Amino acid sequence: MPFATTHTVSLAGAVGHVIDVQADVSPGQVATVLVGRPDAALNESRDRCRMAILNSGLDWPATRRTTILLSPADLPKRGTHYDLAIAVAVLGATRWVPAEALRGVLFIGELTLAGGLRSVPGVLPMVLAASQRGFRHVVLPEPQAHEASMVPGMEVLGMRSLAQVVAELRGELVPEAPPVAAMSSSRLLSWRGAERLDDVDLADLAGMEDTRYAVEVAAAGGHHLLLSGPKGSGKTSIAERIPGILPDLTREESIELTAVHSLAGALEPGDGLMTRPPFAAPHHDASTASLVGGGSGTVRPGEISRAHCGVLLLDEFPLFRADVINALRQPLESGDISVARAEESVVLPARSIVVLAANPCPCGDFHADASIDRCKCREVQRRDYRRKVTGPITDRIDITRHLAAPTPTAGRDPLAVRESSATVRARVTAARERQAERYAGEGWRLNGHAPGPALSSLWPLTPAGSELVDDQLWKGRLTRRGVTRVHRLAWTVADLGGTDRPGTREVEVALRLRSGDPLLSSTLRRVS
Amino acid sequence: MTSDGDRLARLVLSKVFEPGDARVAELVTHLGAEALLTSLRDQQDVAGLLTDASERLAAADDAQRDLDRAARLGIRWVVPGDPEWPSSLDDLDAAETLDRTGGAPLGVWVRGSVRLSELAAPVAIVGARSATTYGEAAAAELAAEVTRAGSAVVSGAAYGIDQAAHRGALAARGPTIAVLACGADRVYPAAHRELLAHLAEHGAIVAEVGLGCAPMRQRFLSRNRLIAALARGTVVVEAAARSGAINTAGWTVRLGRPLMAVPGPLSSATSEGTHQLIRDGAATLVTRGEHVLEAVAPMGEHTTEPVRGADRPRDLLPSREQRLLEAVPVAHPAPVESIARTAGIGVEEAQQLLWSLARRRWVEQLPRGWRLADGAGPQ
Repeated sequence: MPFATTHTVSLAGAVGHVIDVQADVSPGQVATVLVGRPDAALNESRDRCRMAILNSGLDWPATRRTTILLSPADLPKRGTHYDLAIAVAVLGATRWVPAEALRGVLFIGELTLAGGLRSVPGVLPMVLAASQRGFRHVVLPEPQAHEASMVPGMEVLGMRSLAQVVAELRGELVPEAPPVAAMSSSRLLSWRGAERLDDVDLADLAGMEDTRYAVEVAAAGGHHLLLSGPKGSGKTSIAERIPGILPDLTREESIELTAVHSLAGALEPGDGLMTRPPFAAPHHDASTASLVGGGSGTVRPGEISRAHCGVLLLDEFPLFRADVINALRQPLESGDISVARAEESVVLPARSIVVLAANPCPCGDFHADASIDRCKCREVQRRDYRRKVTGPITDRIDITRHLAAPTPTAGRDPLAVRESSATVRARVTAARERQAERYAGEGWRLNGHAPGPALSSLWPLTPAGSELVDDQLWKGRLTRRGVTRVHRLAWTVADLGGTDRPGTREVEVALRLRSGDPLLSSTLRRVS
Repeated sequence: MTSDGDRLARLVLSKVFEPGDARVAELVTHLGAEALLTSLRDQQDVAGLLTDASERLAAADDAQRDLDRAARLGIRWVVPGDPEWPSSLDDLDAAETLDRTGGAPLGVWVRGSVRLSELAAPVAIVGARSATTYGEAAAAELAAEVTRAGSAVVSGAAYGIDQAAHRGALAARGPTIAVLACGADRVYPAAHRELLAHLAEHGAIVAEVGLGCAPMRQRFLSRNRLIAALARGTVVVEAAARSGAINTAGWTVRLGRPLMAVPGPLSSATSEGTHQLIRDGAATLVTRGEHVLEAVAPMGEHTTEPVRGADRPRDLLPSREQRLLEAVPVAHPAPVESIARTAGIGVEEAQQLLWSLARRRWVEQLPRGWRLADGAGPQ
């Protein structure tokens, strides 16, 4: 029976499906047929496999008909990582490798014409998906062995060439082969940005107590944040310090985030699981595809997914294109992003703390105080700009803060708060632990993600606190959506303060955070 | 000029009576402190004071020991006639009393490097303990601005506006004075230990009550009259409708000194008191340090230029030309007749004005008529 089956994984976004690769070599018109909805890159796999097999000193069935089926056959498949599975399946059908050696083994890798293996993006999510389906063995390009071994319980075999794989499967001595190059990544270009953030600390910023408290709440409860203020008021400085006050990622979060970066091809071979929350600050020229994901061929995760479990800063966000801003609605609300393609819809995780920063006008110099106003914009430009600030996106933002123009006073104040990121992180971590305990077994981890109905039925405010919220609703100062956001914020304020249930004090703070009103100084006074 | 006897007698009296007892202040003015003390010790019930005094009188005889202890703590007892005595406090004797509180203090305890007699145009900046970060920032900025101009800041030592005002002044390296409702050696509120330490080093801490005395409600009210009296004028930054800051504002009015208030957001409960002061016409609205300086400085020393929008070049044209320009279209040119009709100006004159404006590049002539030149459009 000239027939063999191997396994690999097809990725749609971060969702993986195990694919059976079946090769049949039998008499008939001589040809190599690949069926099961391959894309162009995958169709070329036939030629890569044939040459790789021949150049590895093995036989390609040149006198018979070779049929390769990728099943399930109705799932569209794209990418080049199928090469190894296809080549091994053909070799299995021609009895070069024993069929029993293929059982329960996952093959991932692209082949060169010389028979060498090449690295491919997305190894971690592929192996994760296979692991959930019960696979325990994976064969893949050597530089990616480390990435695959992050998946617990997986036996990983990193190989350099097809010949090595065949020898291993036949139980023979593995021949020498030149090492496989790691995937080129964008790291070389962006390393400065990544490293720079390691050195920033909240202690660098004097004063800004109001904003400090707001980012602490945002970090503790996973709330989105809008910072508005004139140029130089510290919006960016404080936003890029938010990752520093977030606790280390949980193991679950680490794997999710690392999988997304693997899809983006942005993992270095030596990198372990990503354990610190990421930070992304795309420029306002960014396209929808680069922000939310997309591209031709395989869907590449956008910045919002690469900032999963971390912070996404959209600086000068009214300058972003309208379609880009609209594309943010879904991830702001649901924590994931679906990218619709011609034939499929791909879902990627996108649960970051979104920080929108806006100037008061396009030039950034507008000031309500006429004596220091240096704005050069026309009134109509200012109106346009402000209209974008108060769009459907800002309704989905929990916290609004207005920053004042910087004055020398705060910097010289001998008693200005200069708490370090570590101090704040300890409080944020404690608040997150309280949430984890409360929401154990639920589908969310933080107050910012808790659904409104669950909050009002299972974790309500105190009666007095509810009354305060109702009061604002009746006065028209709060929308229905706003009520839920205030409820979530009130819980985070309670968690930071160590209160068992949010009451009037917490609601009062939440209302101020939501509306942009200045906080009461008593909120900021900490019991030391 | 001040005898040691008067000094000590004032000290004893300050220990016997609660601060701001208007009866005591008046008797001291008329009889002298020593004479009043002697009468009381002789069990003479002067103006019904003896009942209040009898319990404390016996225990209040160790005035010299208080002075020695204060000296060890770097605290001085300043009485009228001393070179450091701020004469602005004497105005309290003439001011109307409030709930039987009033009159100049018998003396004040002072701790810190700044001498009260050397304060230039001091400004009181007061407000709510439960302030907002908006109010705190406003208080700090005002304090920094007035101290940079050479003024001193006077306030309490409470949370909220008081501490923000001191911090603003400290940031500007200006003199700042806290008047306490408790002893000058005490730290109240406890969280302000560091603030008070800074004030003792770079400013001054003033108290009317003796060392070790506790802050009590009545003492806050009498303390407020000292804040108002030490300053040339008072700024209320944020205050609820009934609050200590409004009380201080009342003393400022009684003393006939300028009262100012900083406005807040319309809906802000923490600004209700200040808005009320402005509505009542009791306080002048201030938003900047220069407004405050203008109010407290001797007439004409600080004047503020009124804020106005920058003149647009078009505003400087003669009114007929402005009127005509309004009628000239931005994009699609119009013939002179239509422009003249829209502007309500005769065709002859319109033609003259258009040529004149065209020479100055306000308008341009195209085959189909006139329109505004680039850059002359509506701003």
